[in-house]
Amino acid sequence: MRERDKVTNERMTPTTQESSLINLQATPIAEAKPNPALFKRNPPIAGEAEAIEAAKNGDAEAFSKLYALHKRRVYTLCLRMLGNVSEAEDMTQDAFLHLFRKIGSFRGESAFSTWLHRLTVNLVLMHLRKKGLNLVSLEETINPSEEDAPKRDFGAKDLQLTGSIDRVALERAVASLPPGYRMVFVLHDVEGFEHNEIATMLECSTGNSKSQLHKARLKLRDLLRNPEPVSQPASLKEAAR
Amino acid sequence: MTDISKLDIDNLTYAEFEEHIPDFFAAYEGHVSTNPRFAKFLAANPDCAALFRDFEEIASAAKALFDRTEEPSDSVWDKIRKGMNTPAIDTPAIDTPEASPASRTI
Repeated sequence: MRERDKVTNERMTPTTQESSLINLQATPIAEAKPNPALFKRNPPIAGEAEAIEAAKNGDAEAFSKLYALHKRRVYTLCLRMLGNVSEAEDMTQDAFLHLFRKIGSFRGESAFSTWLHRLTVNLVLMHLRKKGLNLVSLEETINPSEEDAPKRDFGAKDLQLTGSIDRVALERAVASLPPGYRMVFVLHDVEGFEHNEIATMLECSTGNSKSQLHKARLKLRDLLRNPEPVSQPASLKEAAR
Repeated sequence: MTDISKLDIDNLTYAEFEEHIPDFFAAYEGHVSTNPRFAKFLAANPDCAALFRDFEEIASAAKALFDRTEEPSDSVWDKIRKGMNTPAIDTPAIDTPEASPASRTI
């Protein structure tokens, strides 16, 4: 069980942030109902509430405290979603600047870290769209080329991974996933989003999210059993240190 | 969409079973290999059982990644600090999660 906070029933409702990224015509509000299991792993941080209030009033020092408290989480999320240190740093910068300008709209109905986390995910998705990863048409864009696709066979049992996955190997394997697979895997298996939420964010069906996650795991299994020698992005070597 | 709770797992073909794997994992929150409902099928299909265990291992290792975080370089904060002193000219069309729903078009 992951460490989670107790504030999650207050999880944000789908709002303008999401609406700027999702196809609302196809996504009725009822689909994004609060999920008590989501994001309970953000325990309150000492001094955070005071810093938030001060930052809302433009206190730069308080904002720097918020940055210090949350920079690692935000940066790591960006890094995992993007697989690139430079882009991840740029997105971290964007996320905190966005936070600086929008912190007044934080009403405390969810844990601050949850709220910031969601904001970051949406910014990254927006960034990916600008780059041309058109998440609106998931089938066309999230599916990798044939050579990137995972093998569909179950594989031999004597090559089981059980007990043998280390963090660095997994980070590298995740980084080398095709972007669409990586995104769904990171959002679901690492960050704890539910399929219906991923579907909302990526404008796809819940079934598609499940299917992409399955393919991502298949591909990861291939990669972990047959690691590609030095083909992982240099950024991840850096990140894994 | 198939209701997986009504599937006769033991009598599925290999291909039929494979089709439903994403749903099985979603429905049972990743705990499939030890679920009695699948015991007979998995006993008859050891490669599939191995796949399930691998998937569970991957999911478990992935959860552990959540708490492993990386440090951004100091230049990130320098740039943020500069940005804080610069009026936003081109704020992205994105709002924060709890912003007023007024602009939502649901």
